Amino acid sequence: MFDQNIEGAELFALPFGDIVPFFSVYTATLAAFVVVFILISAFDRPERQLNIVFGGDAYYAKEIKESDTRFSRFMAIACGCATLGAVVTGDVFNFTLFAVLVGITNIAIVASAGNRHVLNAAFQYGIVAMIATVPLFGSAAIILATTGTLSIWTLAGMGAVPLLAKALLILGVMGEGIAPLYIGKAEIIRAQGAPFVLMIHFSSLLLFLRVTEIVLVI
Amino acid sequence: MIEYIIAAMFIGLLLHGIHRKVIARIQGRPGPPIWQELLHTLKFLAKESWIPKTASQGVYVAVVGISIAIWTAALMLLITQESLLLLFALYVLHKIVEHGIGLASGSPYSKFGAIRSVVSAASELPLLSSVALIYLITGSLMLRDIETYQAINGPLLFVAFPAAIALYMVILSKIHYGPFSIVEAKEIVSGYWTEHFGVWRGLMNAAFGLKTFVLLYTFVMVFIGPIGLPLTLLGILILMISLSFVCAITPMLSPYDTVTVQTITTGLIAIYIIYLGVFA
Repeated sequence: MFDQNIEGAELFALPFGDIVPFFSVYTATLAAFVVVFILISAFDRPERQLNIVFGGDAYYAKEIKESDTRFSRFMAIACGCATLGAVVTGDVFNFTLFAVLVGITNIAIVASAGNRHVLNAAFQYGIVAMIATVPLFGSAAIILATTGTLSIWTLAGMGAVPLLAKALLILGVMGEGIAPLYIGKAEIIRAQGAPFVLMIHFSSLLLFLRVTEIVLVI
Repeated sequence: MIEYIIAAMFIGLLLHGIHRKVIARIQGRPGPPIWQELLHTLKFLAKESWIPKTASQGVYVAVVGISIAIWTAALMLLITQESLLLLFALYVLHKIVEHGIGLASGSPYSKFGAIRSVVSAASELPLLSSVALIYLITGSLMLRDIETYQAINGPLLFVAFPAAIALYMVILSKIHYGPFSIVEAKEIVSGYWTEHFGVWRGLMNAAFGLKTFVLLYTFVMVFIGPIGLPLTLLGILILMISLSFVCAITPMLSPYDTVTVQTITTGLIAIYIIYLGVFA
């Protein structure tokens, strides 16, 4: 599949029948960044948000207890692991599964915040992410039905995947958090905990980058 | 390798200085000397630095390192003429840098910058359409193949003009004082990097100088082709001055208008790609 001049040289491939997990320069670079961000979310402490007191020039820093961050931290690490899976997998169905997992963990990261606006945003984003699973799995089903395989390695360069399946795959990933459907996440940024909130945005961008590569390759 | 990085940072910071000078002259001001950004960077690097007590310390420091790593890797990609898709990925990851820098300190101003960075994520879409159109025309995303294609068929600037417009928009959205620079607007002090000072600001200045050079170099390499170093540098300079003109005569758009313009640009190019794919 590396004769298509899209993502750089092959670094590693591990065949399991027709399912071949592989590393190209592209996916290896993405995976390296994911590992860095998992480490940051695992070990870094959250910031203390500064709030301005209305009607004066005073401000105060919010306190955040370590016990309050445990769930967010766990979900951020889980989100990082799901992102890593989506980046390194060589199978379209696994990719869709990991993409959905990223959506679920994203909702969980923000759902742990006690702010009403943030919870509303998490709820709305959750609805979009859930609806997006339909085109995601639909695209995998169409690819399997028309080509008989879900292996990216096998499908590469064949031109056998229908345009509709590619469009649905992109639409599904868009629903999991990229432009223009990311707008549901705007309020999420009010949630506290930079290492965890950063993982939400990071995982969505990585999904976007991987789906771009998959759509070009298959 | 290190000499390439330092040279690219130097040229990038000099371009920032030229950018400020051109904007100032158009607006009837004398403006700072063109080496001002270099002096700024050196000054920041020598200043006393610490990490704010309220900051998320790991993110606060790591994003600065990631920013340098991203643009150094991007420069190496250009030099080794590797995949344009990977360059696209690195550009998209820069969004995380903006976002992380803004979130790390806990300051409301930098956080506003971070939120605007998320909202203006649509600025990545024109680059995606640009990459897709280039792939459709050349059949490859390897920079060396794109150069070979141009050596045989002439500059892509004429064949893939909409893609050139899209990349120009992308560079415009990342340039200081531009119509899409909502992430560092003055109404939120300096936006996402308000709370990064001293050596952190110096390193980020250097990384952003590298970023400017890489983006302009990419434009010349992808749309004009192999023309030799002196002409490439001249092309970069002309491109920078043209961007400065746009920045000088265009007010900063609101976040809503920024996203609208970027999305419409992407939509028009997507229609052009579909037209090429179906009818051409």
